[in-house]
Amino acid sequence: MRRYICKRIIQDYTIENELALMFKSTVRQLLILCIVLIAFGAAFYKVTQRPSSALFKLVGTAYKAGNVVPDIRTHFVSTQQNTSTHAASLVELSDGRIRAFWFAGSREGAEDVVIRSAVFDPAKDIWGAEQNIVNREGTQRSLLRYVKKLGNPVALRASDGTLWLFYVTVSLGGWAGSSITTITSTDDGATWSSPQRLITSPFINISTLVKGTPFLYGDGSMGLPVYHEFLGKFGELLRIDSSGKIIDKHRLSSGKSTLQPVILIKNPQQALVLMRRSGNSPKRVIATTTDDAGQHWSAPIPITLANPDAAISGAVLPDGRMVTVLNDLEFGRDALSLAVSADGGASWKTIYQLEDKRGQPTDISRYSQVAGESAQATDANITDAKAYAKSAQRNKCEAESCSFEFSYPYLIQTQSGNFHLVYTWNRSFIKHVQFTPAWLDQQMEKAAKETKTK
Amino acid sequence: MIHFTDITGLAGVASAITTTLLTLPAIARLFKPYRAILLGAVFVLVLIPFAGMPVAAYLRGVTGDLSITTLVLLWCALLKPWLDSSMLSDTRTSYTLLTLVALTALALYPMALGVGAFDPYRLGYGDPLFVSVLLLITLVAWSWKYTLIALCIALATLAWSINWYESGNLWDYMLDPFVSIYALAAVMIDALKAILQRGRPRHLQG
Repeated sequence: MRRYICKRIIQDYTIENELALMFKSTVRQLLILCIVLIAFGAAFYKVTQRPSSALFKLVGTAYKAGNVVPDIRTHFVSTQQNTSTHAASLVELSDGRIRAFWFAGSREGAEDVVIRSAVFDPAKDIWGAEQNIVNREGTQRSLLRYVKKLGNPVALRASDGTLWLFYVTVSLGGWAGSSITTITSTDDGATWSSPQRLITSPFINISTLVKGTPFLYGDGSMGLPVYHEFLGKFGELLRIDSSGKIIDKHRLSSGKSTLQPVILIKNPQQALVLMRRSGNSPKRVIATTTDDAGQHWSAPIPITLANPDAAISGAVLPDGRMVTVLNDLEFGRDALSLAVSADGGASWKTIYQLEDKRGQPTDISRYSQVAGESAQATDANITDAKAYAKSAQRNKCEAESCSFEFSYPYLIQTQSGNFHLVYTWNRSFIKHVQFTPAWLDQQMEKAAKETKTK
Repeated sequence: MIHFTDITGLAGVASAITTTLLTLPAIARLFKPYRAILLGAVFVLVLIPFAGMPVAAYLRGVTGDLSITTLVLLWCALLKPWLDSSMLSDTRTSYTLLTLVALTALALYPMALGVGAFDPYRLGYGDPLFVSVLLLITLVAWSWKYTLIALCIALATLAWSINWYESGNLWDYMLDPFVSIYALAAVMIDALKAILQRGRPRHLQG
């Protein structure tokens, strides 16, 4: 009897234990289910809030053919001597002035590299004083993460007038370890917000860089052409909302050979993207097109324009003509051309040689002389052309051999209809070229006449 | 100005540093309360600015923000001496989770880094089909009592929904290269062990 009672007690205890375990397990399962339902409820709500796809926004100009005389002028934007200066970009301010950005320091990738800026007043035809916008330490402090170096600034004025500056920051390795950081200004660049980082890649967010001109979509969101350099080299298009969050991205190319996409918007649905070719043959500009506002892109193909692994820039005129500035060469960056397409990018014609130092002497003494003459030709107000030549010599001479470099063009057309182009002059200064649409027409006519004569 | 996402990002990195310390034999041998005090102190210490920036910020510059999956695994390891971790995971669940992470990483990273025209990373910006597939996987994991898997995906999704980090991409909440490398190594070591075990004579097999 005693044995029986003991057995029953043990049995009851085991059943009780099992029941308790089952209860615990059920409660745990229900708790997990609650978490799952809350998480996905919130996720689906977020999905419904996501903006739908948008059309490209066309930027109109006040220009009317015939009311502007043919004119071209050149200046130096930057004035700092003996620095490595590179990668300039432009943005038109609310009052019609133009603000330029570039990076400068003791050498490209050095810790002392800063993003600098200056403002051009078209009415006075003069560039204002340079100022530092961002440095490495400030970016690092605000982002609360280590930053090794800065580079490539590009700017956009959003629909609400806010100025957005996107620039490259590197925490790990070389440029392949880049990510994009952004700052904003509500007073046309007089003061700036603290930096914010864009997350664009799943692999510790490395290897996204900017170079191409940003643009607007019809709904006010921003389009930012970017490229990757880690393992693969390919272009992408980011769509960013007004709070700086990425809401979508599209791949423009894949593989290991395309960089620095530039988007030329034909109409709200059609656009052409030109990309720098990185790698061996064919040393040609790579192009891709869209007919549905960037939702789908054609397979990238090489076009007739040559490319020596160098950046391109371009703009679309209101009449549909396309203008591009590039090193139309297979090797080197010692010549810079202006090319035009009147058939939506199907064919291109070089109409003007902005720089051409092909076949120029490369020994130091002759190089300094030619560089000095080039600086003087850029801006007649320069009092010490030798100092400009010395800076070029510092950045472009190794041992006894020197080379010329005119690279990283950045072209915009302003509301007035005039074109403004900036590019790197021998890695030492930023050069500015402004020309009127009438001058462009004149050059096109000249080029057409020359073709007929030939 | 410190943003909310800076606090969450730095806290994640601080968790990783603290857990790494826990693997040191000298610390693992410590009496539990002392261990807790020491780990708590380290967690706080790496978040205090030193020469302008916290130690965790230097590491964050290199690692980026750690995924929720990594954090869940780290916190499971960190709290193991104090909590019954079998509540969440057994060997079967852990192995399935690591296999899932390894396979997903093998598919995601090469394509996201430029192999082919399809970019799966794009789905993470709120693709409805992608979120639906994740819900399905989570419910299957839940019904099969793979609690840790269901919890990792659900918490990652919840964190993405409330903008826990500065990333707006769901993939960044679910995966990072560190948990992927760990999972790949664990799965490969496990597979190697199984192959070696099969090659041994039957009487020597464990």
